Parts: sequence; structure tokens; C-alpha cells
Amino acid sequence: MMSHYEAPIREPLIIGNKSYHDITVDVAAPVEGKANKKWWIAFTIALVAFLYGIGAILYTIGTGIGVWGLNNRINWAWDITNFVWWVGIGHAGTLISAVLLLFRQKWRMGINRSAEAMTIFAVFQAGLFPIIHMGRVWNAFYVLPIPNALGSLWVNFNSPLLWDVFAISTYLSVSLVFWYTGLLPDFAMLRDRAVRPFQKKIYSLLSFGWSGRLKDWQRFEEVSLVLAGLATPLVLSVHTIVSMDFATSVIPGWHSTIFPPYFVAGAIFSGFAMVQTLLLIMRKVSNLEAYITKVHIENMNKVILLTGGIVSVAYITEFFIGWYSGSSYEDYTYLSVGAATGPYWWAFWALITCNFIFPQTLWFKKLRTNFVWSFFISIVINIGMWFERFDIIVIDLSRGHLPSSWTMFSPTFVDVAIFIGTIGFFFVLFLLYARTFPVIAQAELKSILKSSGENYKKLRGDNHE
Amino acid sequence: MKQTLNIITIVVLVISLSSCYGDKRKPNARYMASTDMYAPVGYETYAKNPNFKNGLEAQAPVEGTIFRGEVPYEIPNTEDGYVLAKETLKSPLEINEKNLSKGKELYTIYCAVCHGNKGDGQGILVKREKFLGIPNYKDREITEGSIYHVIMYGRNMMGSHASQLKNNERWQIVQYVEELRANLLQ
Repeated sequence: MMSHYEAPIREPLIIGNKSYHDITVDVAAPVEGKANKKWWIAFTIALVAFLYGIGAILYTIGTGIGVWGLNNRINWAWDITNFVWWVGIGHAGTLISAVLLLFRQKWRMGINRSAEAMTIFAVFQAGLFPIIHMGRVWNAFYVLPIPNALGSLWVNFNSPLLWDVFAISTYLSVSLVFWYTGLLPDFAMLRDRAVRPFQKKIYSLLSFGWSGRLKDWQRFEEVSLVLAGLATPLVLSVHTIVSMDFATSVIPGWHSTIFPPYFVAGAIFSGFAMVQTLLLIMRKVSNLEAYITKVHIENMNKVILLTGGIVSVAYITEFFIGWYSGSSYEDYTYLSVGAATGPYWWAFWALITCNFIFPQTLWFKKLRTNFVWSFFISIVINIGMWFERFDIIVIDLSRGHLPSSWTMFSPTFVDVAIFIGTIGFFFVLFLLYARTFPVIAQAELKSILKSSGENYKKLRGDNHE
Repeated sequence: MKQTLNIITIVVLVISLSSCYGDKRKPNARYMASTDMYAPVGYETYAKNPNFKNGLEAQAPVEGTIFRGEVPYEIPNTEDGYVLAKETLKSPLEINEKNLSKGKELYTIYCAVCHGNKGDGQGILVKREKFLGIPNYKDREITEGSIYHVIMYGRNMMGSHASQLKNNERWQIVQYVEELRANLLQ
């Protein structure tokens, strides 16, 4: 204990007089216990929403894209808005588990498992949209460069939509593997604790015979680091590629070189907000307040503040360049005077209010460390970031080069139903996850217990004095 | 594990082999054929069309109508018409290598099977004695007008070739037949 030096200024990351066993028990409790009534209510609501969404999707595919509110000019709206929104949400998980690992941030350990789960479930939702927004879903396999009987007809590798295919599928698979390797020691823990034979069987299958030997841990650490190193450029490139769906076009407001970093910042911004939303609930309902502490919430708020700041700078830049370019077409883009006063003024101001004004309150420590306010802000940001994507897509498409094709967009109930359905699906997955998976990486948490646990910190403080 | 693998292998094998059997006269299954554009929405020339009495899409034009770019052949299909064509009808084409070689090609396709490559009435069907009575060109008094007339309407056993050949193609054949006849007469 005396050989260890940690700055006394650092706040404890594990609160309470926790031992290794306490961590195990706390993490395993939701998995080993029975679901309560509230869980079933939440799950039922989510399931109904999910089934409603499935119905809407089947209706769309069976009847045609015309059941959506799209028109000749605005041919992307809720579908791609939701796609980008969900992909964006997914980014925080990888950021937390990969980038923060590279930066040796110990506070990541309390939240990375759930953040990664959120990533994967959000990417599932995102992955739905590129498929269901196709006019001919059943030919979707043509996006893959597979040798075929059409003279080996190939895909065109110049389209960002094809890059999307590669980006999203790679992102999902790498995230899944990264997440799963991290789960091995935790599944092993559940396996070893399981008393019911069925549970034992399941968790021994899931844990791949993890026995926690020295060599295993050594390789585990190395793999985690390599995957983190791979996932970091991935997380930056995936949303970059998504942003290029717009940035490589010639549409005023879309054709902008700022998009790649700005979208990534926005993704982290919205992703962290979603993590915040989920974890603030989870720490309460799963009794994990000792592991997801005020420090975690505050740190996440700081990241939100930072990325929110980057996004705000990007808004100002877009607004400025819109004016500075001198191009008359830029007068109606989603961040311009034309947008602020035009028919989509409400969407413009929703974006400004939710992303630009409200998150700035996080500069105040009092609000930053306030759970209720953090929850409120995280919801506001998710709404705001939805509007950001909506504004970019719809406002820019509604006022293009030719005034004769200026038009408005209004969603049909199918647009809305599919979005609700994906939210339902997301929560179905997340609620199931919360009851069957170890929601906190207990193995990692145990590695910082003696350096960042409250009781050990206190002990160290006493010894020094 | 090994057993499952074997079962999977057998199932895959059976499924793939099953595609080798079945009714060969029926067209193969097509992926999403009912929604994608395999079957035409419009009517195709030789397709069936239930809207007409004879059930065909290809309907005959009204009697007496003239297509743009075509000149009707006005000499009637009678013995008098034959004589008239023989005496008065003249070829609109000039005699040159191009017309002759084209005429040779068409003659080889449409005529030589009975009349023979040299026009001596010794076509392959005659040689095999499928039917007889094909005259040698040198035995008959024929002019360019009469040859054209016969291609148009046919004569005796010969049927009309008007539907196989276009106007100028007929005249090209006429030119080539005249040359064949000149060669035979030598």
C-alpha cells in the first residue's frame, strides 16, 4: 500500500467500504435476482413499441416507400435522420471503451460495459434504416461485391453509401468482438456463481471456458489494447463516412468540408447524452450507485460539454461560411438566416436551443453534478441532435438550387412508427441485457478497487498523515 | 458436434441435389419474379393478347392502307398480270457488285434450296427427291419483271416470298437470278 502513489486530489471511483466480493455480489445481483414489476412494465412497453415498429416496417416493404412522407425533392428525411442519429448514439460506447482506455481513464471502468452494449444496440437500430429505406429491400445483397452470374457485375466503390455498408458492418463486428472479449471474465464469474444448472450451462457456454490464468490475462490485456487501438480510428472513420453521405454531394448546406469532424463530435455528444440517460436510470434501478458515482456523471458531463462546444463552434462556422462564401444558395442552408426565419424556423431553433444553449449550463459545477439536471440535459441533447440531423437533411433538401422544386416535408404515421419501433427495439435489447449480462465490468473494476476505492483512499490518506 | 456437422452436410447435399430433378419443361424458378421486371407490362409483338378475337397481339393492318416509305405492288396476281409484269416491269436498281453480292446472299438463303446454287433446278431438296419439277432458269423465257412478279406472288408450286423479303431485296435477287441465267445460257 505504501509503495503506491496516487495524487490525493483524485476522487474515489468506488464509493463505500467495498471489497472484491462486494463488487461481485453487486454486479451479479441483477442477473441472479428476479425481475421486478417495473422491469416487466418497461419491457412490455418497449416490446409493444417494437412490434408496432415491425408492423410499420412490414407495411412499408409490402406497400412501398410511398407510405412515407418523402417526396421527389426531399427523398431522405426521417429514415436517414434516424439512421445518423442511431449511429451517432452508438459512438459513445466505443469512445468510452476504446479512447478512454488509450488515455488510461480509470473512471471508464464503471460505465464501459453498458456504453458498449448501448453502442451495439444502437448500431442494430441504425443498421435497419439503410435496409428498409431501399425501394427494393430484397435486392439489398447487391451492395456486396460478390462474384455473380451478371458477368460479375460489381459495385461502384465511389459511393459513400457503399462505404457506409463497410463502415457500419465493420463497426458493428469490431464493437461486438471488443465487447464480448471484455465480457469473458465476467461471464466466468457468473458461471462460477450460478446455482441453477440451466444458468450454469448458459454462462459456461458464454464464458468460453475462461479460467483467468496469468497467461490468459496477459493476452486479454494485450487484445484489449490492440482492439482499443483499432476501434479508435474506426469510431472516427465510421461517422466520418456517414457524414460523407452528405459532404460529398453538391447540395448547398451538405457540401461542406467541416462535416467529418463535426459529425464525429456530434456523435460523441449525442452518444454520451444517451449513456448519461441510461446510466442515471441504471445506477438507481440496479443499485449501482457505488460504482456509477457523481464523478462518473460529472466526467461524462465534461465530455458532453467539450463535444457540445466543438459542435457549437461548428455551427458558428457553418453559419459564418454560409454568409462569407457569398453564394446565394447558402442563404437557405440549415444554418443560415434563411433557415432561422424560413418555414423550418422551429427546427432551426430547436437545434440551437437544445445543442447550443442548454448544454452550456454544464459549465456550472452545481448543475454538472446534479443528477436530475444531468438527466434533463441528456434528454434535451438527444432531442437536439435528432433535430441537427433532421435540419441538415430536410432543410437543405427543401430549399435547393431551383426554386421550382422548393417543397416541404411532413412525415406520415409510418415514419413515426418506425422510429418509435427502433426506440422500442433498443430498449427491448437493453432491458434484456440489463437482466442477463454483468452490466459493469467487474473484473476491471476490481483492478482499480485498491487504487480508487473510497476505503483504500482513506486508508492511504491516514497513513500519510 | 461431429454428428451435427454430418447432418448439416447431408441436408445441404440433399437440397442442392434436389435442384437437379423436377419438371425440365417448366421454366426455372426466378427470384422475386412477380415484383421485378421480368414480365413486360406492355404488349410484345408476338405475345398473346386476350383483348383480340384471335388472341394475338400482331394484328393485320387494314386493307388498302400504305405504310410510310413503302410502295404497293399494283400488278394483280393473275396470268394477265404475269404477262404485264414480264413485259413492262423494270428494276429500279442499277447493276453493280454490291447489289449482286447481296442478291447472291439472299438467293442462297431463300432460293437455292430448290433452284440450286447455279439456278439449274438442282437444289438440295430436288437432289434428295423431296419433290420434283423445279425448272432450270435457261429453259424458261423470264425477264426481270416476271422474276419479281413470281417472287411477289409465287407461281404454280412456288409460294409467295413477299413476306420474307423487302422490296429492294427482291430486286437484288432478281439481278442475281438474271446473272445466273446468263451464265447458264452460255
